[in-house]
Amino acid sequence: MSALLRVQGLSVRFGSTVAVDDVSFELERGAALGIVGESGSGKSVTCRALLRLLPRSARIDGRAAFEGRDLLALPEPELNRIRGKRIAMIFQTPASHLDPLMRIGDQVAETLRKHTEMRGRALREEVLRLLDVVRIPDPDRWARAYPHQLSGGMKQRAMIAGALACQPDLLLADEPTTALDATVQKSVLELLAQLRRERNLSMIFVSHDLGAVAQVCDDLLVMRRARLVESGPVRRVVAAPRHAYTAQLIASHPDRLEAAPPAALSGAPPLVEAKGVQVRYGSRTLADLIAGREGGFIAVEEADFSVSPGESLGIVGESGSGKSTLARALVGLVRPRKGTLVFDGAPADPAGPGRIALLREMQLVYQHPYEALSPRLTVHAAIAEPLRRHRLCPRGAVDERVRELMAQVDLAPELAARLPGQLSGGQCQRVAIARALAFDPRVLIADEVTSALDVTLQAQVLGLLSRLQRERGLTMIFISHDLSLIRRLCNSVIVMRRGRIVEAGATAAVFDAPREDYTRELIAAMPHLEGSAA
Amino acid sequence: MRVSPMFLTGFSLVLVWGLIALAAPLLATHDPYAIDFEAILQAPGPAHWFGTDNVGRDTYSRVVFGARLALYIGLLGVIAPMLIGMTIGLLAGYFGGWVDTLAMRLLDITVPFPFFVLVLAIVAVLGPGIENYFIALALVGWVGYARLARAEAVVLRQAEFVLAARTMGFSHGYILLRHVLPNALSPIVVYMMTDVTLVILFGAALGFLGMGVSPPAAEWGVMIAEGQSYIATAWWISFFPGLAMVALGVGFALIGDGLARMLRIER
Repeated sequence: MSALLRVQGLSVRFGSTVAVDDVSFELERGAALGIVGESGSGKSVTCRALLRLLPRSARIDGRAAFEGRDLLALPEPELNRIRGKRIAMIFQTPASHLDPLMRIGDQVAETLRKHTEMRGRALREEVLRLLDVVRIPDPDRWARAYPHQLSGGMKQRAMIAGALACQPDLLLADEPTTALDATVQKSVLELLAQLRRERNLSMIFVSHDLGAVAQVCDDLLVMRRARLVESGPVRRVVAAPRHAYTAQLIASHPDRLEAAPPAALSGAPPLVEAKGVQVRYGSRTLADLIAGREGGFIAVEEADFSVSPGESLGIVGESGSGKSTLARALVGLVRPRKGTLVFDGAPADPAGPGRIALLREMQLVYQHPYEALSPRLTVHAAIAEPLRRHRLCPRGAVDERVRELMAQVDLAPELAARLPGQLSGGQCQRVAIARALAFDPRVLIADEVTSALDVTLQAQVLGLLSRLQRERGLTMIFISHDLSLIRRLCNSVIVMRRGRIVEAGATAAVFDAPREDYTRELIAAMPHLEGSAA
Repeated sequence: MRVSPMFLTGFSLVLVWGLIALAAPLLATHDPYAIDFEAILQAPGPAHWFGTDNVGRDTYSRVVFGARLALYIGLLGVIAPMLIGMTIGLLAGYFGGWVDTLAMRLLDITVPFPFFVLVLAIVAVLGPGIENYFIALALVGWVGYARLARAEAVVLRQAEFVLAARTMGFSHGYILLRHVLPNALSPIVVYMMTDVTLVILFGAALGFLGMGVSPPAAEWGVMIAEGQSYIATAWWISFFPGLAMVALGVGFALIGDGLARMLRIER
């Protein structure tokens, strides 16, 4: 049997930058190929080049024979008959690829209208059938909904339904689960694996997450810096990587990271404690007052937890579970409506007058490496800022202290004059950590610090945090949706759902013998390297 | 930061006008106010490069001296509205709540009236003259800046680096000056450059209506108004000041667009 798609010597250039350099691969009918690599490795560009979905400035060379016809040389009108009908594509952010003013049903119908003769009743029934295929419950109702009414996972399903409309032979999936929560990611991956079996669909699955790829694909391409560095069956590549970079990639997967939690629970009196903390956003309006309601909406319903000095606490939960809000309450960005916070045995009000003294002891590092730094301040200025503003060291010693802090987070001294835009994500995150360390805090709260980073960088930043914790005896609070990270870094963990703590305890206990169904669900959703290929 | 060619072109144009304004007495061939009944409505020629008007004043010299007034009006006219609008907008967007409500209601009061009508009404009440035009501009023109600044501040307030700054315990005033303002400034500066053009044009329009600079003055708007009745026979009286206005306006607009490109942060 000849290959469905045969790519030979594919190269993509943007001006003088080479985005994809001489990539060749083959895809059999019914097979699934995963492309992994860090951001900027050219994996998405490869995928888009196949359908010529690149800006005009891109120069594409090579051949991509789809059933013998070269996609890269086809005239535009002919390619349009293949796009959507024979080769469909789904994207990372379903929210930005669905038209917000169009009902879900109409969006799915759009492809059908374009490529088939189906109209009226038949069209509507086909749409409902497709929504059913992608496991959207009650398709009749959701077909009439607008994108903003759907959750992230549902939007991704709707987009897959649209992609499947014309029964394509090949589905290109560009990071389809990256923006989704773990449990939702799992269900979308399962859906894709199932569609492969049921419809004999061929697939190219692009992702930076080796675990996700391992669940859906049988073959793997590893890309780095525009080049293909390794290819082969998933099992073989994971078990015995041939290229050093692949080995590094696999070693960086949370599954393989060395567990480095600090000494077991010490039983010392807690350093940070929250008692019955409730956080609401929005204010109480007159109507609320008359109706006797509290007003606003609840982000954290009730939270009780404590962390002892030198320990690390993990807070896990899906987006919207209130875990970040809890972190913000700890550093006084929002004031709890009810409950008290206790720091070092004394009641603390981080949103009140003692704020600055408290912040010197407790610092927060944010999620997005680029956004957490003011784009117009150099690395040096950003780290020096807290030192100068709070007189954390004598004026003359600021430069020396900045160098010291940069060294502590493994930043090369020559980066001091750079702006955040000229740094990599991992470097930005290090600057943010250095700024927090400038206070010499006792508690460091890390709010999803690695979720925007590639796995290799993620491993480095986590290694840095563990080292700092050991060296300085820091108390850490890790907030993450990634359970495998928490498992490896924390002694105790709390699981949050819809503003409540559903389970709490020592990490080993929670992971090995979860008491709640929800915790079990989260644990089952962790993508593993040895995931079974469909 | 790379200097954009657009900015360079605009800047050179405005610079040329600035030099012309400074060196007006040297460049002018005649006294811009000297009436010469011997040379009425003369077409452009070697004696009068841009011709003469209905009382024999040299159009070229008047255009050259007009640059002084135009730049004076344009640059001074945008400063007060910019400062007022930016302050109100930043405070409203950053703090939100009742500060925002108050500022937005104030804005609502100003917005429903067409810009020019309101300026006209205020100048009519205060009496004609450039100073009163400036006062009117300050009272009305701030809304545009306030809206822009507020929109930027609303976004920046939630930006992680602003949250990070608050987590570091910096004061609101410091955060506003050091973290919010620099990142909100670029659209404001760009708008200011287009606003300069607008202020010059409105200044000219007021002159045209007899409510701005009073008639004998060598002001481009006034000149265009005076030439209006001779447009069929002596086009040059209105044409050259008009051309000058376009050239200056294009210069500022290019500076604005060029700045917009240069100030964009590469991520």
